[in-house]
Amino acid sequence: MWSVIVLLTGPVIAGLLSLVIRRARVLHGVNFLTMLALAVAETALTRQVLAEGSVTTLGAFVYVDALSDFILVIITAIGLSCSLYMWSYMDDQVARGVIAPKRLGLFFFLFHMFLFAMVAATMANSLGVQWVALEGTTLATTFLIAFFRKRESLEAGWKYLILCSVGIALALFGVVLTYYSSVRVLGDASSALNMTALIGVANQLDPNVLKLAFIFILVGYGTKVGLVPMHTWLPDAYSEAPAPIAAMLAGVLETVAVYTVLRSKALVDQALPPEFSGNLLLTFGLLSFIVASLFILIQHNYKRLFAYSSIEHMGLAMIGFGVGGLVGTFGGLFHLLNHALAKALAFFVAGNIHRRFDTLEIDGVRGLARAQPITAVAILVAGCALVGLPPFSPFVSELLVVSAVAAQDFASDTMQVGRFVTMTISDEMRSLGIITVFLFFGVVLFGGFMYRIGAMVWGTPPAGIAQGEPWTVGHVPLMVMIVALLGLGFVLPEPIRTLLTRAVNVILVR
Amino acid sequence: MQSVIQVLLVAVQLGLLLALSPFVVGLIRKVKARLQCRRGAGLFQPYADLAKLFRKQPVISSTTSWIFTAAPYIVFASTVAAGLLMPVFVSHTPLNFAGNIIALVYLLALGTFFLILAGLDAGSAFGGMGSSREAIVATLAEPAMMLSILAIALTAGSTNLSTIVHQSALMEGVVVAPPAHLMALAALFIVTLAETGRVPVDNPATHLELTMIHEAMLLEYSGRYLALMEWAAGIKLLVFLTLIVNVFAPWGIATSLAPSAIAVGILVYLAKVAGLAVVIGVIESMFAKLRLFRVPELLGAAFILSLLALVFFYTLKG
Amino acid sequence: MPVSTHLGSQLVDLCSVLLLLCCFAIVAQRRLSACVDLFALQSAFLAATAALVAFLTGHRHIYFAAALTVVIKVIVLPRILRKVIERLNVSRELGMNVNIPAGLLICGALVIVAFFITQPIIPLGYLLTRDSLAIALAIILIGFFTMIARQKAITQMVGFLVMENGVFLGATAAAYGMPLIVELGVFFDVLVAGLIVGIYTHRLQDAFDSVDTSTLTVLKE
Repeated sequence: MWSVIVLLTGPVIAGLLSLVIRRARVLHGVNFLTMLALAVAETALTRQVLAEGSVTTLGAFVYVDALSDFILVIITAIGLSCSLYMWSYMDDQVARGVIAPKRLGLFFFLFHMFLFAMVAATMANSLGVQWVALEGTTLATTFLIAFFRKRESLEAGWKYLILCSVGIALALFGVVLTYYSSVRVLGDASSALNMTALIGVANQLDPNVLKLAFIFILVGYGTKVGLVPMHTWLPDAYSEAPAPIAAMLAGVLETVAVYTVLRSKALVDQALPPEFSGNLLLTFGLLSFIVASLFILIQHNYKRLFAYSSIEHMGLAMIGFGVGGLVGTFGGLFHLLNHALAKALAFFVAGNIHRRFDTLEIDGVRGLARAQPITAVAILVAGCALVGLPPFSPFVSELLVVSAVAAQDFASDTMQVGRFVTMTISDEMRSLGIITVFLFFGVVLFGGFMYRIGAMVWGTPPAGIAQGEPWTVGHVPLMVMIVALLGLGFVLPEPIRTLLTRAVNVILVR
Repeated sequence: MQSVIQVLLVAVQLGLLLALSPFVVGLIRKVKARLQCRRGAGLFQPYADLAKLFRKQPVISSTTSWIFTAAPYIVFASTVAAGLLMPVFVSHTPLNFAGNIIALVYLLALGTFFLILAGLDAGSAFGGMGSSREAIVATLAEPAMMLSILAIALTAGSTNLSTIVHQSALMEGVVVAPPAHLMALAALFIVTLAETGRVPVDNPATHLELTMIHEAMLLEYSGRYLALMEWAAGIKLLVFLTLIVNVFAPWGIATSLAPSAIAVGILVYLAKVAGLAVVIGVIESMFAKLRLFRVPELLGAAFILSLLALVFFYTLKG
Repeated sequence: MPVSTHLGSQLVDLCSVLLLLCCFAIVAQRRLSACVDLFALQSAFLAATAALVAFLTGHRHIYFAAALTVVIKVIVLPRILRKVIERLNVSRELGMNVNIPAGLLICGALVIVAFFITQPIIPLGYLLTRDSLAIALAIILIGFFTMIARQKAITQMVGFLVMENGVFLGATAAAYGMPLIVELGVFFDVLVAGLIVGIYTHRLQDAFDSVDTSTLTVLKE
């Protein structure tokens, strides 16, 4: 109970405080303490969820089960490391005159609103409130993306605002349709969108309405996830956003968006055969994976490189959820965590490089190993983790997804979209085909990615670039993440394992 | 006895169409004049104009063929015939066996066709320009007109105008028009403005060569030929107005042949047509003429509206 | 109340069709201020529909939503957008990605598509409002199309708001409105989105000397 209240009110209070505090040091302190408080509250909440199964509180507005708790773990973990990283990053940007000192408070205000919206979206019991919160994330982040007020960042912020708002308006129609089907069964208008109420009656809902609803929700929230072909805003936004914001967008916001899709999937799968939602996810996932790997090959901007890698990893997770089953879903969820860690690390590193080399071009960055040794190590770790090399944890989750695909026996399945389009999926797309495609593009990706990173790390730094890297507080999260990526590759701590297993059961409830 | 009444009715309808059409033209002009704070010509000025033209000697260019002299008669006759096919003040007009709503549309199109030919025949630059413009407008207006009429015909289950009007006149307690009808009405209204050369499409009051359409085709005419053409244009306008008021607002039309019903029918008809004429006058004062290149957009909108009327007919069952 | 339901459903249909007509008018309209006015008009029809449904069904909370629609979508948002137009001194949309007649035809096709898609789920609805669901989807699709077809930031925003209107009509038609808390949240989001667009157009104008989003081409592959 108290932990839920802390998680919801913490960001709001911190955000309001940020508007009145003038001194940078106090701002950072408040920010860090808030994130610390959130992490503590989240730990307590996790303990409670593990003990009780799920927590419904605050007049049934809040519903936290293993799945949402797992997402909250990611939010707070990345948020906490972000707050440390921002300490040195933002101070540096102020010192370099990129942003005026008095705008720092605004930055933290928006940041905390963003955080609040994500926490609310994850904890909301009602699918409608979840939508409101997710749209809230769009509104809060658009100015964060455009925070540097350059032409490019304004453009990126605008595209992000428009595309995500459109996508999410479609998702709202999906929510309306869900409500349309449920209010008929439940009768009670005020709770008919609540997950707690829906789960009980999901198998009585009208399948035709749910099909349509899921398509709208997947396309809508899929825009937020950055699934191809709704991904066009993503590379722009990630490359123009300040590095910690990019880390939050890539590591956390995408995860929350995936979570909203999973919620609907869990619902739809009870009224329809799981192949329906599974095939849709699989199609979008594969498409994202393939397109993103190809775009990675032609990148010359390292932030965009990481952005496309995000699309690719979300595609991978979607493949896992699409294949479904215990292994696939577990792999997908675990991959969300690993991707969040690795991608946050990658964007932190990108922020470090950008501040030193003052360019986003890969060709402009040489000799990282000499100029910034710590960052060089971190980017190598991030790169290896993102292409799925052992011993880092993404390797484990990717392996799980691939083996789930291999083990899956695809039944030929037709699905009807509305009345007039009948698609036959997975008839030809048997597991072998998927794995071949998967591995082929995996190799493409490996080459493209490691080649670029290698080019940046080795060589001699361009003239005029300072050498050496003094230790700052911003390096702490880098170290922590490297350790986490390594550690999770070897052992999965017991609480996380239990949480994941329970979360899988939430999605697969039948 | 029965047949005498029928013949009588046709005669009355014919007389009404011929007599009323100049008045409608005059009424619209008067409304426009009043809205522009002018006194304007009297309501019966068009009658005087026609009478004057009939008395004048026509002058015919030596380059013209027989089409030039035949066209006014064909245009006039086809328009009057169209007017006789449809119910005016009695829902079952005696001549309704002779054709249905599609025949009406194509009788009017026949008139337009000869009008266009006549415009070309004299070989003057303005006539050709007017003809080509009229052809554009007519081609674009026709699909919209056909579709909107089809939507109405579907509702009534018949393409016979008398049946359509009779059915809707007998329907009791219809307070709300179905969306399909509203769309069709809007489409037909736009088509009316376009086909009869009213303001957003053409300006009947100008001889400015850059903008005129209908007047450009008549430039070479004089005397009784011009009178016939002008009169036919007036009747065409009246035919369209009658179509709109009787199909979409058939209240008060005589559904039987009782003398009292017919008397009420005539009075109500006059009132409705006068009302619609005032509306057109107001619209002509409110809007500026569209550039010629914008006309397809307006008629495209009419087409979409009539298409929607059809869609709604099939999908909205109320 | 069988007679009243029939009449009521006809009235609701009529109102929804008027909303759809506003969509078409927006698609056919070049002048930005007229687009905004048409959006306000559409929102007024939306409020009327909602109030009508509230009256016919006795669901009080829909009145509340109708009142909010009037305040936010008929008064506040159009005012913000008009201010932006005034300040930016743009009045017309000159370049369009799709010309107007073609756009109208596409929208006509979208209406048919919407009716097709909703066909299997229409019979589940309340007798009073079920036809409006198809119209709502049509409005959403047309709003979506407007955002693609237009280049000015303002008209794109109008397209988004039209989509939102469609969703709201869908919610009213399909389920007699969403739970109140959700409706409040949606209104709040829409309002904030309107404010943000206001700020953005200002900054875009400063940075690009234009609110034409076709000039936003710095970022590409």
